[in-house]
Amino acid sequence: MNESTVFLAVFILYILAAACYLAYHFGRQAGRARAGLVLAAAGLTAHSAALVLRTVQSGHAPFTNMYESLSFLAWASVAAYIIMERRFRIQAAGGYVLLVVIALVALASSPVMPKDITPLVPALQSYWLWLHVSITLIGEAFFAVAFVTSLMFLRAERLERLGRKPSPTSAALDAISYRSVAVGFPLFTLGGLILGMIWAFKAWGAYWSWDPKEVWSLITWFVFALYLHTRLVMGWKGRRSAIIAILGFLAALFTYFGVNYLLAGLHSYA
Amino acid sequence: MSDRSGRLSRIVKFLSSVRLAIVLIILLILASVVGTLIPQGWTPPEYAARFGRMSGVLMRLQLTGVYHSLWFLALLLLLAANITVCTLSRLSAKWTKAVKPDLDIEPSALLAWKTSGSMKKPGPVSDSLAAVRRELGRRRYRQRESVRPDRSFVLARKRILGNFGSDLVHLGLLVILAGGILSARAGSREYLKLEEGRSASVPAAGFDVRLERFQTELYPQGGIKAWTSRVTVVEEGRDAFIREIKVNHPLSHRGFRLYQSGYGWNWDQPALELWVKKPSDPAFLEKRLIRPGEKAALPDGCELRVERFVPDFIIGRDRQVESRSDEPRNPAALVQVRKGADTLFSGWAFARYPDFGGGHSGPEPVFSVELKDIQAPQYTILEASRDPGAQLIWLASLFICAGLFLAFYWPAREIRLVLEVRNGKTEITAGGTTAKSRESFDLEFQEILSSLRKNA
Repeated sequence: MNESTVFLAVFILYILAAACYLAYHFGRQAGRARAGLVLAAAGLTAHSAALVLRTVQSGHAPFTNMYESLSFLAWASVAAYIIMERRFRIQAAGGYVLLVVIALVALASSPVMPKDITPLVPALQSYWLWLHVSITLIGEAFFAVAFVTSLMFLRAERLERLGRKPSPTSAALDAISYRSVAVGFPLFTLGGLILGMIWAFKAWGAYWSWDPKEVWSLITWFVFALYLHTRLVMGWKGRRSAIIAILGFLAALFTYFGVNYLLAGLHSYA
Repeated sequence: MSDRSGRLSRIVKFLSSVRLAIVLIILLILASVVGTLIPQGWTPPEYAARFGRMSGVLMRLQLTGVYHSLWFLALLLLLAANITVCTLSRLSAKWTKAVKPDLDIEPSALLAWKTSGSMKKPGPVSDSLAAVRRELGRRRYRQRESVRPDRSFVLARKRILGNFGSDLVHLGLLVILAGGILSARAGSREYLKLEEGRSASVPAAGFDVRLERFQTELYPQGGIKAWTSRVTVVEEGRDAFIREIKVNHPLSHRGFRLYQSGYGWNWDQPALELWVKKPSDPAFLEKRLIRPGEKAALPDGCELRVERFVPDFIIGRDRQVESRSDEPRNPAALVQVRKGADTLFSGWAFARYPDFGGGHSGPEPVFSVELKDIQAPQYTILEASRDPGAQLIWLASLFICAGLFLAFYWPAREIRLVLEVRNGKTEITAGGTTAKSRESFDLEFQEILSSLRKNA
């Protein structure tokens, strides 16, 4: 079996999982959420196999170009979601997280993304590649979960103001969103900023060069720092927190995509 | 005097507000975004061409070098002062709570906590107290007690370091800023261009480097695999040691680091291999190796000259020949074959396009010239940098990682109990708080209560 066959299977499993979770969200039968989880876990397993296959074939970390890193971000998002679901019982968010994941996988498999295995340029030949990119993307995966639960919060809050009783409640979504940020923030700080500085020092001779990607990671970090300080010190909750979390994830996305396509700089690989 | 202390306290109050931190973070976000939208570090004519009359305003506001501007530094320093005052003012209260906690609390106040409970047990307070000690000790809570005739108070805490995580992160941020300022002020960065066999002294470092060999390795399918500069470090005129410098593998010596930063060719005097042919005579072939400006004799009193060489031929905007880059992407030589005062051939010879006889003049040419090979000395570019601030950055990174770990993954837990005798029974009231992950704490708290109900 080759990688693209496995990747197709992964794609189908995620779509089925999303369908089950969405059916659960609208129909409230526990069995559907369980089926969603089983399918998502199966997809995650197959996806892990695809990543391992890619690593074996290429001989380097499975995130050295846009296609590979998109696939890895999708993988990490599913993993992050399953962890959050197991801990905090948020089955209703599953469908929406998986929709984001499906979008990432679809983008990765779109024809505009070159999928060829290319040998590593000298700058990427380092074990810091593994640490820096994987931890950053795992941190961003938790931001993705926070993004989805924050969007759901905004909707649930509106329904509550209309006197309806959404499930999960806006309060529950607010709490889960915060938890996801609380897990993602240390990972993003470690992977994106600190390990990035260490690697930049080894490869480029300066731990910080105000490269656009560096600046945008810093912006993302500032936005989530804002989220945490307004929440933990000033007691902001709910709507305002949700909006900051959404902006934070959008900043993370821009760091990841936008900088590559819109701004030139040192980080010209992925 | 009182006026001055009043002003001081106003300044401290201003600097200790979290609102200030929020405003500063928002301003830093906006400034950073602007710095990625406006190109940074161009020359004034480039800005003038792109932004027209706006360019003067942009430059005056230092928007063309945001991250190195005084106002950006001022924002950072203000944030640093804010962090310092905020952290210190909270730290003293936190420290007192950690070291000299107040154990007294009213049971009714405890019951108002989100996580709380109470129970009645037969037997004296001392029995219950022993059970509480056992149960909390088993769960690694550190306990303090205040035993009084009427009431006993227990304060049990664990992972108390978690409360100081945010302070450690803030300390780390201050150290990062200090490191950044030190790097900018005391760091240095020089680029050394070295051809094989040549030496250069690393400025202010007290040693020289000599390039032994520069090599570009390619993958079999194309693409660069590695650039390797093999250098000898020369100290006080003597060869000290030989080392290979590659991307991701700099050489560290005497506080300096040498990085593989680039490469290029010295096109001043390339050796060109030219093949001169006669279209009318297939047997005629003369090979010559000459440099631009040199002449070489051909049979019958003819003479081959190279007028000019460009590594990357292009016709520029003003219809003049230029080199688009310093890479040998389209090497071309302007060649002439002369006999006395007659020019028998004059035109560009392209290494990549031997059949393209473009640009030759005159009627039917007697000769044709092909550019077969070009040899130019290659040089490596080594970046020699000294960065005394980097050590502080690593220290700060350690603080920040440890602090974030403590703050988010090691949340402090605190349980308070009041034990008192009521109607011959011991009444235990308990309440608990935690900084984060309330669910798992609630679970532990309930387990503690139910185990006390059974055993105490």
